[in-house]
Amino acid sequence: MESMAAQAIFYVVAALVLASALYVVLGSNLVHAAFALVAAFFGVAVFYVYLGADFLAGAQVLIYVGGILTLLLFGVMLTNRIYDLKIRTGKVQVLPGALASGLVFALLIWIIGAVDWGAMDTGDPGPSSEPLGRLLVGDYVLAFEIASVLLLIALMGAAMLVRRRSGS
Amino acid sequence: MSDAALSLTRFIPELALVGTLAVVIVADLLTQRWETLRANSLLTWIAGGGLLVALFTSLGPPGGGALFASMIADDGLLAVLRPVFALTALFVLLFSLRARELESVRMGEMVALIVTTAAALMWMAGSVNLVMIYLSLETVSVASYLMVGYLSSERLSNEASLKYILFGAVSTGAMLFGLSLLYGMTGTLDLYGVREALASGAHGPELLLVLVLIAGGIGFKIAAVPFHFWCPDVYTGAPTPVTAFLSVGPKAAGFAVLIRFFYSGLATPEGGSFLPIPGSEAQTLLIVLSVVTMTLGNVAALLQTNLKRLLAYSSIGHAGTMLMGAAALSSEAVHAIGVYLVVYLFMNLGAFFVVILAHRVTGSFDLASYAGFWKRSPVLTIAMVVFLLSLLGMPPFMGFAAKYYVFIAVIQADLVWLAVVGGLNVAVAAAYYLKVVMTMVIEPGEASPPAFAFSRLDAVLLALLAIPNLVGLLFWNALDGFTRVSRQLLDLV
Amino acid sequence: MIPLEHYLYIAAALFALGVFGVLTRRNAVSVLMSIELIFNSANINLVAFSRYVEGAVGGQVFALLVIVVAACEAAVALAIVMSLYRLLKEVNIDRASELRG
Repeated sequence: MESMAAQAIFYVVAALVLASALYVVLGSNLVHAAFALVAAFFGVAVFYVYLGADFLAGAQVLIYVGGILTLLLFGVMLTNRIYDLKIRTGKVQVLPGALASGLVFALLIWIIGAVDWGAMDTGDPGPSSEPLGRLLVGDYVLAFEIASVLLLIALMGAAMLVRRRSGS
Repeated sequence: MSDAALSLTRFIPELALVGTLAVVIVADLLTQRWETLRANSLLTWIAGGGLLVALFTSLGPPGGGALFASMIADDGLLAVLRPVFALTALFVLLFSLRARELESVRMGEMVALIVTTAAALMWMAGSVNLVMIYLSLETVSVASYLMVGYLSSERLSNEASLKYILFGAVSTGAMLFGLSLLYGMTGTLDLYGVREALASGAHGPELLLVLVLIAGGIGFKIAAVPFHFWCPDVYTGAPTPVTAFLSVGPKAAGFAVLIRFFYSGLATPEGGSFLPIPGSEAQTLLIVLSVVTMTLGNVAALLQTNLKRLLAYSSIGHAGTMLMGAAALSSEAVHAIGVYLVVYLFMNLGAFFVVILAHRVTGSFDLASYAGFWKRSPVLTIAMVVFLLSLLGMPPFMGFAAKYYVFIAVIQADLVWLAVVGGLNVAVAAAYYLKVVMTMVIEPGEASPPAFAFSRLDAVLLALLAIPNLVGLLFWNALDGFTRVSRQLLDLV
Repeated sequence: MIPLEHYLYIAAALFALGVFGVLTRRNAVSVLMSIELIFNSANINLVAFSRYVEGAVGGQVFALLVIVVAACEAAVALAIVMSLYRLLKEVNIDRASELRG
């Protein structure tokens, strides 16, 4: 169903996501790394569109790019007086880290190859927001409520941690 | 009635706690202008009432079905653990009134966090759906990070919290990745559905690798080696009542999740035992984890000079002992873990309470500051000796029952060599528990140390914790009976 | 159509990169960014399996809740970083070690 162009765009986006992720973990400028993370998050949202998860793609952009990333940027800027502070202070064990994560990657690739996933294409699933909404207030209503409790305490706790010191 | 409405009638303890949370938050706002001590005691009363309601409504016979469209198992294991969580939270709540670190601090958020954690622990222990397991585990985690970092003007507390959240997010991230692969392999998020799908196919080592990723998240919660790095630092940096909470509550819930995974999701019940899905190597994994965890925990505890750190490593050792029980993969093992967790509540919280009371006077957690303790407060010394010997598993204290059940379960599963390793570990544990006892009783302390003063609350709490340890073995049948229902996992009811 | 395995390879690569970042980064905020990569990699898996294996939206519900959790963790972690920064005037997890590792 997807044209060649759509496929080509997918792989371009995939390359962009991986390149940005690479910058996030390797780059020496924290602010640039945060913006690279924006690119990676956008790319992941594009994957969701390809997978027919339209609502999730929207949520990804709104929450990750609009929320989490803004938070991270605030964190970067409020904790570094110097805008482009170099973050490689002290000794960094790059080689053992690279070996360990390389091993993880190799094992995961092996798992992906070894398992018969039984993948099937069910065709265009149509808009996902309706079944998603029904599940959230149906079978998963408890999870939905727990998420609200989690948000409540996270909000309360984050405010507490930052407020108290400025008050005292 | 609809399924959700019916489920709510079996969900009273959790509802009571969430209701209490709402009341606490509003009450905290309304008392902003009150003086700290008065506001703290009001909030403690409210939360204490809520926890008592949760405690009493959670006692009683287990239900026998799944709640909320198979999200929560209302079974024997949950019936045993719900009161454990409520009681632990209640003790911790009262501890925080007495802890020196928290004395002059407004407790509104802390009280709210304790109540939330108690509820989230209950959700965690009952979860039989991958989404619920992950979500409730993260709720417990986020609340724990906040409690550990509660003293935001204390450097140690902040550092501990930062370490905790970074380690925690990585471990649960690995677990999440493992869960996603498990979902892909089975096409379902329901734990029993996972078992069905796995049992119908053949699996190689890839299943073990997925299991290792998932074990990362569980191991983080129960502080099993090698996911324990955070444990000593967090236990040392956190306010002591929070340390006590973390060493009992999340550990118990982590074991519940472990049982759900290894006994329900990845094994099929057969008579009194559970046969792991071929290819998962679940038993080997548990045995390795348990041997490494107990040995490292106990040996490292030997080297500690700070009592909070020592108790942190000792709690790692206890996690290893419980893992040893879990490796037996039998109904006896579930029962043994149930007994262990109930007993562990009293002995470990007791030891931490003595540490809290000593810290009020000495302002130190160093083992050296406990020298001459006997002369300063014979009552506290005797209480501490009881808790430590109980932790060691020495009769006639209640800790013996915990060790007894675990070792019997291990031997019945034909893992005699594992029981021997466990026995050697008890010997190592004896060395450091007795070291503490010796310091308190024999070593001379300062010439004229400050005296201890007890409030009535201290005496009541101390008695509530010490008496079960002292006379627990006389009520063997009651303990056995109360925890026996834990064998009735959801699919065995 | 894009085969399922390709999504999984991308997710595996993101996960490995996240692990690499966690192991090598020394700045708390950078470690947090690497952790976000790990969460995203798991989410790609979940949504891909939801489409190709389950054929329903269960995995998407999971992914949505993961986003919620990630937001909570980021908020709490940054609040702690800020609080600690005011105490230390730096966010370098190596130097933040009055506690022995």
